[in-house]
Amino acid sequence: MTMYGFEIIQELASVLSGDEIIVSSNGNISRQVYHFLPKPQIYLRGSMGLPVPVGLGMAMARPGKQILTLVGDGNLLMGLGSLTTTSFIRPSNLKILILDNNAYATTGSQMTSSGILEYPSLLDGFGIPNIVPILQDDPIELIKEKLQLWIDASELCVLPALVDSNPPTLTNIPWHPEQITEFQKNISS
Amino acid sequence: MINSSEFLDFLREKGFSFATGVPCSYFSRMIDEFENLKAISYIPATREDEAVGIASGIAFGGARAFVIMQNSGYATIGDALTSLAQLYKLPMLLIVSWRGLEPDRDFPEHSLMGEVTEDTLVGYHVPYWEMKEEDWQETIELALTEMDETSRPVALLVKQGVL
Ligand SMILES: Cc1ncc(C[n+]2csc(CCOP(=O)(O)OP(=O)(O)O)c2C)c(N)n1
Repeated sequence: MTMYGFEIIQELASVLSGDEIIVSSNGNISRQVYHFLPKPQIYLRGSMGLPVPVGLGMAMARPGKQILTLVGDGNLLMGLGSLTTTSFIRPSNLKILILDNNAYATTGSQMTSSGILEYPSLLDGFGIPNIVPILQDDPIELIKEKLQLWIDASELCVLPALVDSNPPTLTNIPWHPEQITEFQKNISS
Repeated sequence: MINSSEFLDFLREKGFSFATGVPCSYFSRMIDEFENLKAISYIPATREDEAVGIASGIAFGGARAFVIMQNSGYATIGDALTSLAQLYKLPMLLIVSWRGLEPDRDFPEHSLMGEVTEDTLVGYHVPYWEMKEEDWQETIELALTEMDETSRPVALLVKQGVL
């Protein structure tokens, strides 16, 4: 069985309450969040490596909101140190979903080095509460259960998902980044 | 030398409730002062680009952050500026130490960066002011007016012995 990253993003739709703000990492993941989930969200276009810090800052500035950060393995590895900062600050309203397809899919699916990571012990070492990773052959009910556990967590929580890489072709996000910022100003706390 | 607690109180009054960054020895007094001033939460970042990311998240959320860094750290934030803070119009105040000048002649690791600090600020289109002890409040007012008008990052350059 295969489970693609975009399918996890599609599954997310059924567990969202509508009160969350999503920060998505550059490239395919932002496009998929734009196309498959409610709008508006914070779609990062550049700043590779920074979705975790952006989510952290957002969680601190908006303590009344649930902040969901969706990060690819390439982005995670580029900003790995930010997991320490996140663990140190520990905002209870921050949830991080790692979509690990073992590749830089956006630039042509070159492999990343993430295959050697063992997420539970890595995250334990960072002192970050985490959920048993989603695996490619998990039945769909189990995937939904893990997503629900993650989103309902009462503290900072990371859910790693080991997924296959085969992104659908999607059109570019039509909004200018300045508009993305403007939309956030209109969201009540 | 500017009094650290006055400096932070002034920024607090200007609406800054968060600060982040990576230390420079020029800022050690200021960073120690965060202990006494609970009204500004200081988030110790592991890298300066991470700090700009955190300040960007804070700005997305409608609050204000300033970012402390050495000019060596400024040398690492190009992409965080151009593809995030500047692109998304996220205001923030960068407080950058200006190492590599005459008092640093025994620190060759800072020499080249000291020489090109202004060029790189200009190169990345970051408006900047050198902050001096005599008129630091006026300088900050000018910088924040520009930050608010453009909704983009602005920088203060700080030489040795000022803060
Ligand atoms: C600093 C920087 N280096 C390289 C790139 C080119 N780039 C854009 S997306 C991307 C891959 C991101 O990988 P990942 O986070 O794993 O997401 P995926 O593409 O697999 O969905 C790369 C390398 C970039 N945008 N910025």
